Amino acid sequence: MPLPALLLILATLLPLVSFVILMFMGKRMGNPLAGYVGTSMIGGSFICSILAMIFWLGGGKYQDGIHGRLLDYGAGIGPINLPMRWVPVGSGIAQDHPGYLDVGVFVDSLTILMFAMITLVATLVHVFSIAYMHEDKRFPRFFTYLGLFCFSMLGLVIGGTALHLFIFWELVGLCSYLLIGFWYEKKSASNAAIKAFVTNRVGDFGFLIGFGILFYHVGNVSLPNLWALLGSAGNGHPITLPGGVVFSTTMLTVMGIGLFFGAVGKSAQFPLHVWLPDAMEGPTPVSALIHAATMVAAGVYLVGRIFPILTPDARLFIAIIGLVTLTMAALIAVAQSDIKKVLAFSTLSQLGYMIMAMGIGSWVGALFHLITHAFFKALLFLGSGSVIHAAHHEQEMPQYGGLLRKIPVTGITFGIAVLAIAGTPLMSGFFSKDLILHHAAAFATLATEEGRSKYYWLFFIVPTIIAYVTAFYMTRCWMLTFWGKPRNQHLYDHAHESPVLYVPLCVLAFFSIFGGYYVVPQFLKNSIIEAKSYVQRTDPQFSGFDQAWPIAATESGSAAEGTDEKKPVAHAHISASEEAFEKSESHVARFTSFLFYGFVGGIGSGFLLYRNGYSIATKLHSTKPLGWIHTWLYRRMYFDELYSAVFVAIVMGLSRFLAFFDKYVVDGIVNLAGWSVKGASSFAGLTDKYVVDGAVNGMATLSQGLGSIVRAPQTGRVRMYVTVLMVAVALGLAGAIIVVLSH
Amino acid sequence: MILSQSTFLTIGLQHYLMLAAFMFVCGLLTMMVKRNAIGILMGVELVLNAANVNLVAFNKFSYATSGGQPLLTGQIFAIFVIVLAAAEASVALAIFLNYYNNFSTIDVERARSLKG
Repeated sequence: MPLPALLLILATLLPLVSFVILMFMGKRMGNPLAGYVGTSMIGGSFICSILAMIFWLGGGKYQDGIHGRLLDYGAGIGPINLPMRWVPVGSGIAQDHPGYLDVGVFVDSLTILMFAMITLVATLVHVFSIAYMHEDKRFPRFFTYLGLFCFSMLGLVIGGTALHLFIFWELVGLCSYLLIGFWYEKKSASNAAIKAFVTNRVGDFGFLIGFGILFYHVGNVSLPNLWALLGSAGNGHPITLPGGVVFSTTMLTVMGIGLFFGAVGKSAQFPLHVWLPDAMEGPTPVSALIHAATMVAAGVYLVGRIFPILTPDARLFIAIIGLVTLTMAALIAVAQSDIKKVLAFSTLSQLGYMIMAMGIGSWVGALFHLITHAFFKALLFLGSGSVIHAAHHEQEMPQYGGLLRKIPVTGITFGIAVLAIAGTPLMSGFFSKDLILHHAAAFATLATEEGRSKYYWLFFIVPTIIAYVTAFYMTRCWMLTFWGKPRNQHLYDHAHESPVLYVPLCVLAFFSIFGGYYVVPQFLKNSIIEAKSYVQRTDPQFSGFDQAWPIAATESGSAAEGTDEKKPVAHAHISASEEAFEKSESHVARFTSFLFYGFVGGIGSGFLLYRNGYSIATKLHSTKPLGWIHTWLYRRMYFDELYSAVFVAIVMGLSRFLAFFDKYVVDGIVNLAGWSVKGASSFAGLTDKYVVDGAVNGMATLSQGLGSIVRAPQTGRVRMYVTVLMVAVALGLAGAIIVVLSH
Repeated sequence: MILSQSTFLTIGLQHYLMLAAFMFVCGLLTMMVKRNAIGILMGVELVLNAANVNLVAFNKFSYATSGGQPLLTGQIFAIFVIVLAAAEASVALAIFLNYYNNFSTIDVERARSLKG
């Protein structure tokens, strides 16, 4: 097995080892030791990941498991694809090995990058947790769960087939449930855990439907083979599979949307976004690791992995969902007062950016933003954890204020993260968000040039405006926490921070600043090249992740009808999109500068509005329409109320009806049956008592009577017996004599 | 011969039979009226010996021969009966010993175990 794959498998298994050790011995190890074990294991994973990255850059050759051929791997050369047969389930029509539920390892530059990011963030979160969870009575269990989560997350990222992804997909969902409900004594935490789990089930149901369609048509093949088989889905044409079966466009779209629904649940996209804000009930390190940096990004990662097999319609759907989410969440974040809720909605909004980027075809932009977002959002959450720790678990920003003087390192690193997420030029967030907007502009330009609706510009305009809003609400969050006068003097006086808490913050701050330079985009571009080099061996038409925008594909698809199908498609959508993209460069330059002023405006307005705490904001709330809007946003646009009014009410109504039905109809039938059986049995009982028992008792009485008659002569007196015997013999003799004589 | 010619002194079969009948009745009455178990055993012995007297008497007065030799079947049978009586007496005495162990008496009226 090639060295990078081996190292990554080792990196995946180390947290599992930590999980097993802590599961059985965690309680005995006790407070700091369990944390050290968990941290050293995930630290080992990080080292393995970095080593894997180094060996990956070196490259090499490996034996392809299925075809036995010797393939090149390495950055920008080719991926490592090692599927393993698992469960045989009849026959499929895949060209790879059909009819198997396979798992396997797939390593390309994206995997390497994700491993480095996840293990880095996870290690820092572990270190942070040792201090943050210090006083918790279930300290070892916390690290047990973290170990399981890290194993699941790394297993998800290394997964080489859709089924493999799905298994670990469910495992991370389980860990999320366990960790959200970590403080299960709190009713709200236990409810939030259940809510997260159930909401994710809804999404996973969609995933299963999508996977079912996929499995029916091509089986559970490894990722690159999947791309090779269905890579032309982006053209919007039906695909004729090797077995001669036609995979219709509708089915492809349904499959794509179904698989995407898994991502909707996991990445908390509209309309399944409601669980993520509630998930903030979990410990803050969990929020940083799972609900900001890694697990929620798994949805984006999944869409990234299945990107080539998405049809134009599915991509448009994905883009719209992302657009709705990013807008809605950013607006809600403006009005939240709980520091973690602000960050939660900010996460939703940024995930919306990524999903939308996927939808409009900006594969690199989406995953680039995923990585940079992981760093600065983990930093924000850990920073908020440090604040909450300093403030003795007070999370409401109205209680904060002026904390910069008391916890300066947290304040500064948090500020760096705010600048990064706001898209301040030369910080990591700037590059990634700029790339997404850049591609959105190109997408819209292309749509316009094709004579499409002007509304495609919404995919550019709305995210741009929301980028200002992002800058505004993050600045607001920072100002309310760290600036101005303390609003709770007692809390302010007792605030403090410790090195264990802020060392991880400093490391993350470094990556928040420098994470956007060269390395990450280069890795992503390499990943595209690797996929192409692997797939184009079998499918020369494959254009991979930098394939066309959906619109171009649809257009060229409809134009190609009636003529030779393949040539115009290949020409039209790749070259057309690239041309359009190049044409849009001039626009993009203008938009970028526009964006730059926007960030300044967002941060500036946030600073001005909240420089004196809540005083100006309170005045604004008292003006009527603004107050209403504020309440509407503060209550999260009433989504929870809407869901409880619609879905919960329907379920509750149905369950009440069923309870009524159960109580009166089913129970009635059961009771009737019981009553009739009771009646019948009492009749049978009477029969038994008087007829059957009567007969038996009669027999007994009869025998007893006969017996008492017979036993009367049995006196037990020997002399009596002798006498009777004599008399009987005498009588017998006398009788015999009489009989003889009478003859 | 003198004796045999005198009707008065001649002892014939009838005398034996009468003796035997008398003994038999005595034994029987003893069995009926005696409450002492040993007494009952005595009665049994009397009955058996009455039968023995009959057997010997019948053999004596049947004059049965075989090949010129007189047959002694009755006497042999009587000896058998005596042996039998001895065996029976030993069993009966063993029963009485147990009986005495259980009831501290050999009064048969006290034993009602056979009562149905």
